[in-house]
Amino acid sequence: MPPKALKELERFYGFDKPIYERYLSWLGVWPREIKHRDFSAPKNAESVEKRVGKKDGKIWKVDVFLKESSPTVYEKDGQLSKIWFSRIDKINEDGTLDLVIFQKEFSGILTGNLGKSYTYLKPVTEVMKPRFKISLFFGLTGIFLSYLVCIPLGIKKALNHGTTFDFGSSVIIFMAYSIPGWALGGVLLVLFGGGSFFDVFPLGGFRSPSEVWDTLTPLQKILDQIHHMILPIIAWSISSFATLTVLMKNSLLENLSQDYVRTAFAKGIRETRVIWYHAMRNSLIPIASGIGHIIGFVIAGSYLIERMFNIDGFGRMAYEAILARDYPITLGFLVIVVIIRLLGNIISDLVLAMVDPRIRFK
Amino acid sequence: MENNKINRNSILIRRWKKFKTLKRGYYSLIILLSLYITSFFLPLLINNKALIVKYEGKFYFPIITGFISGSTFDQNVPGEARYRSLKKSFSLDEGRGNWLIMPLYPYSPYEDITYDGNKMYDPPSLKHWLGTDNTGRDVFARLCYAFNISISFALILTILNYIVGILIGGAMGYYGGKFDLIFQRIIEIWSSLPMLFVIIIISSILKPSFFLLIGIYTLVNWISMTYLIRAEFYREKAKPYVAAALSMGQSNFKIMFKHILANSLVPIITYFPFAVVAGISALVALDFLGFGLAPPTPSWGQMLDVGLANISKWWMVFSPVLAQFLTLLAIVFIGEGVREAFDPKVYSRLR
Repeated sequence: MPPKALKELERFYGFDKPIYERYLSWLGVWPREIKHRDFSAPKNAESVEKRVGKKDGKIWKVDVFLKESSPTVYEKDGQLSKIWFSRIDKINEDGTLDLVIFQKEFSGILTGNLGKSYTYLKPVTEVMKPRFKISLFFGLTGIFLSYLVCIPLGIKKALNHGTTFDFGSSVIIFMAYSIPGWALGGVLLVLFGGGSFFDVFPLGGFRSPSEVWDTLTPLQKILDQIHHMILPIIAWSISSFATLTVLMKNSLLENLSQDYVRTAFAKGIRETRVIWYHAMRNSLIPIASGIGHIIGFVIAGSYLIERMFNIDGFGRMAYEAILARDYPITLGFLVIVVIIRLLGNIISDLVLAMVDPRIRFK
Repeated sequence: MENNKINRNSILIRRWKKFKTLKRGYYSLIILLSLYITSFFLPLLINNKALIVKYEGKFYFPIITGFISGSTFDQNVPGEARYRSLKKSFSLDEGRGNWLIMPLYPYSPYEDITYDGNKMYDPPSLKHWLGTDNTGRDVFARLCYAFNISISFALILTILNYIVGILIGGAMGYYGGKFDLIFQRIIEIWSSLPMLFVIIIISSILKPSFFLLIGIYTLVNWISMTYLIRAEFYREKAKPYVAAALSMGQSNFKIMFKHILANSLVPIITYFPFAVVAGISALVALDFLGFGLAPPTPSWGQMLDVGLANISKWWMVFSPVLAQFLTLLAIVFIGEGVREAFDPKVYSRLR
């Protein structure tokens, strides 16, 4: 590899800088060098003229003075340049200098710039945006559906504690807890998507490919979307299904054996009202406070299912970025996921304060 | 002192008796334990090496001595002897007194298509109970070996996590104050990272072995234990017996790990099976993504990955999922039984 190309690569990946500088400029509090131009100066030269591009349609040249401790760049009108900076890259043996002229830019995660992807050759945020929407769509649908099923089921199990219904549904819950959602997804794919048994659902993908998708009427589009989503959503919600139902059941059972329920009964309040008004309000507290945690979990934990179902979502992007050693995307994904999780924790706290009157913000 | 010991034992015995009455968990424990112990003798049961060969009046023990070249038995094969075909040829001419004993299931998890007439994508049959995979390896043999590896992995992992979690969480709960505060902040930061993703990043750089993978996993996963232990130690340290021990001049270490730990065993034990479940799931997920144990280690995740790449070969998907499912189900049953025995909740309901 020629040394010039090696230097270009080093500069591209940032290996020419010490690690703290790379970290700080990744954060965006240290200037990043952009628009590098290499040039060289003869031995003992006082100043070099360097063409740096075009401004207002005219050729833009600057003077680089070399006599001071570090090279300084002056515009043609004699002013110290505010845009261009220069540094000595290497002093050659014959006395000539290799110089770099560059602009400085503060851009990092604090300024909303996650860098540029190595594989997509686009800014990371641009790569993430459409994929994030897909994952969010799946995640929110999954959360919504699992709450829709789990809360009534949990209540019913608690009210019928110890009956055949409770036992039967417990078996299903145990099974759901013992199989990871993505592994179940694989079984579902073989059963219903592979063609070896029933060829009912597509093998994967978020929706039909765009050539087909564009020809569909709105109603067909909705059906197509649902058709593609059924298997992944089942896989998505199966793990929270088990934990949520058990949580709901135990929470309601716990409350039903509390003293205040006894008091309510003793006052002669109807059973339905005691359950649905008194006990229910308190049993929903742990469920409600878990919602933020689940939001963070659903978005971060989806790469297995997205890979399984070949959905071009947020998680699969991150997974492929690791395979391709695409570090801007990998790090960007980590940053976003951590932010989402923190937001999820805040949402949890807020919801908890909302549903639990004992908690007050002072 | 003596009296105290008897009391503590009797509690444990009472709990064990209670656990035994919970049939689902008790039988799961027995089945799983016996399968796990058996799985250490897998080379004797599932292997392509003969246990004993008697050839021309001499005895050979290939399962112990390892490599024996095919020419020893006048077999015209490169490298190691092919014991399955050897058995066939021995049975053809019985008069010479040559015999050999094969393991019950005479296929090794590592022998591939280059070995002795193996075929790719052989569907399940009497010969290959669960078929063969994309390189002609026997799925059933790999499944069984992966069972041992998965459980061992999860057990070692959980115990390591427990050691780290109990040390740190215990110190946090016991000492409190600044130490607690600093570690809580560290844990908050650390726990907001997506764990599996961090493991994948580290594995993609390091190419981990069995123990390195456990180390990486412990590095990111010790947190889950500290919450439990910290809360437990926090509660226990205010109790009179700790003050009594302290006034007797016991060292902090002894108070923490002899007195408090003994009194906070309930959450530690009841959480254990579920930590094992999480460990197995994590290993399968990592192997599925290709960042787990290095091939050709038999693993359920890798088998599932191959199976999904060849989706019409259903046996390669169903067998690892079913194996994982049954194993986890048994552990969940055990966990449920243990919790019922250690931490019984009686719900009274007024009508």
